Amino acid sequence: MSFKSTIAKMAGKSSYWFLHTFRSGGSSLPGKITTRLDPTILKDLGKDYDVIVITGTNGKTLTTALTVKVLRQKFDHVLTNPTGSNMEQGIVTTFLTDHKSKNGKNIAILEVDEANVIKVTQFIKPLAFVFTNIFRDQMDRYGEIYTTYQKILDGVKLAPEATIIANGDMPIFNSVKLPNPIVYYGFNNQPDGEMKADPNTDGVVCPVCQHIIHYKFISYSNQGKYYCPNCGWHRPDLTYQLTQITKLTPSLSKFFIDASNFTLHIGGLYNVYNALAAYSVGKFMGVPTSSIQKALNDPDERVFGRQEQINVDGKEVTIVLVKNPVGLNQVIDMVGTETEPFSFVGLLNANYADGIDTSWIWDGNFEKLTQMNIQQYMTGGERYKDITFRLKVAGVRDEQLWTYDNLKDAVSNIKNLPTTKVYVFATYTAMLQLRKQLTSEGYIKEGI
Amino acid sequence: MKYELNVAHLYGDLLNTYGDNGNLLALKYYAKLMDTDLDIQIVSLDEKFDPNAWDVVFFGGGQDYEQTIVSKDIQGKKDDLTDYIEDGGPMLAICGGYQLLGHYYVGADGEKIKGIGALDHYTLSQDDNRFIGDIVIKNKETGEVYHGFENHNGKTYLGKGERPLGEVESGNGNNGEDNSEGVVYKNVYGSYFHGPILTRNGELAKKILLTALKRKYPNADLSSQEQLTIKPTF
Repeated sequence: MSFKSTIAKMAGKSSYWFLHTFRSGGSSLPGKITTRLDPTILKDLGKDYDVIVITGTNGKTLTTALTVKVLRQKFDHVLTNPTGSNMEQGIVTTFLTDHKSKNGKNIAILEVDEANVIKVTQFIKPLAFVFTNIFRDQMDRYGEIYTTYQKILDGVKLAPEATIIANGDMPIFNSVKLPNPIVYYGFNNQPDGEMKADPNTDGVVCPVCQHIIHYKFISYSNQGKYYCPNCGWHRPDLTYQLTQITKLTPSLSKFFIDASNFTLHIGGLYNVYNALAAYSVGKFMGVPTSSIQKALNDPDERVFGRQEQINVDGKEVTIVLVKNPVGLNQVIDMVGTETEPFSFVGLLNANYADGIDTSWIWDGNFEKLTQMNIQQYMTGGERYKDITFRLKVAGVRDEQLWTYDNLKDAVSNIKNLPTTKVYVFATYTAMLQLRKQLTSEGYIKEGI
Repeated sequence: MKYELNVAHLYGDLLNTYGDNGNLLALKYYAKLMDTDLDIQIVSLDEKFDPNAWDVVFFGGGQDYEQTIVSKDIQGKKDDLTDYIEDGGPMLAICGGYQLLGHYYVGADGEKIKGIGALDHYTLSQDDNRFIGDIVIKNKETGEVYHGFENHNGKTYLGKGERPLGEVESGNGNNGEDNSEGVVYKNVYGSYFHGPILTRNGELAKKILLTALKRKYPNADLSSQEQLTIKPTF
């Protein structure tokens, strides 16, 4: 260890101690200080770990959390970065503050933002990469899907021996030849048919001959058993496959992977993909199937808390974060599995963290809501006019719709909604404001 | 419904970024208020565009990769699309679609991507910069004000016979230089506006629908359609 990196680590660790002890925070600043003093610090910090990098646009956080749970079944010491700290400095802090085991294997499961993969692989050669998916994000902040994938590949190029564990249902992950060993996971739970993706879907061009790809079946968006009718390019063989889904509600999923049954205490088909990714990493790392079952079946509130339920004067209010069209369409499908009548609340902001362009709501399939048992609609947020008109165009009638130009009124009217179940779709800053309002009114306890 | 219009969504399965599909949803919404059904069909790769089969054409924008594919295919539809436009067929083209109606645009890697030259504009690229943000323009002839969100790298320069959709009140517009935004040529409207443009500017949707109805039903009494009031949505 060089003198420079020793000093850098000391400086980082003491700043973390200070921040952690005297303020309740400190996830990126220690990393920032350490990296400033020694830009190559990750090389030193990561050298005693088997690192697995999890990247992609949607589902990174839950996939990472589930993977950690799975691997902890077999390994004593599994390190991970806290939610949201998926850029370089947060990752440095993660290693910096770890107490690694003296003997035995140290494993690090890192959620890494797509553009930051290269910042990790410059210094650390991971054992494996996990590619969850690449969907179009709000494009005022990010590039197109091909640019995003290229960013990931720029990082992967520096680690040609690492195994890639990729979502095989996602065509883009089969579009570039790589030297790395690759294993694919995916869905194989429907009989073969013949279909194309919905026209308003991204990433459906064959990378070999530029024709529109077809599918034997589609799980959602552009994922499924794809093939090109023109040149024969097709989905690769799957090593790990989901074979059956037996139950799907907004709060529970039951399914089979490779003939073993699993229960996941969260709804949404997209979360089944996240569980399948975690399972695949578990198998890759030699975790027995029964241990993976145990890990995934655990109703762990810390893991599933992102989609939370709050009691507001007897209403069961589920708050769902929405940030891009594919995610939005997935949660629309998720509430579509609700069996009781419910009310729908849409809160839209357009601050930087939400995406400053609200156009993306028009790629959301709100028309589906009008087929559900929704008794009352409510809209709010700083861009309530946009979401209100979106719902009207979707077919929601004026008399079904309450509109509020401020969040306080929206929250105080939640208790007047006609149903017990209430689903709130909120963009990031709208969700924070909503939580703050609910906290100030005593519905959420401080600090949770 | 009393009337029906056939709407072609050019390359709708390839060019579908930024919620542009919302333009068709808005068009359908206002058409319903005008007693008109819309039959929307995608016309895409290797398919013929029949200029007599369509009453309205929508042409959205996409990602660079998909637009390159469209640039090659659309050369085979060039003559039919030009006939449709010259004959006064109503069309709305956004972002990449707007660029491809012109002579060419320069892609992200500096390559010239061919348009169909049905309209006389061309588009250059700017280095490491995009025009991103809310934009307001005003059409000096009609007094109409349009609200939108622009997000483009391309800088478009209008040619002879082309008028801008509006003059920039705030934002960047076609090129950030000459104060113009979008284009009007015959019954074609081109723009960089997302938002999408027709969801925020219902008057434009109404105008396109009325043009199409008058063209298809020259003897019909469309006074109730003309009287439709568009409520502000933004």
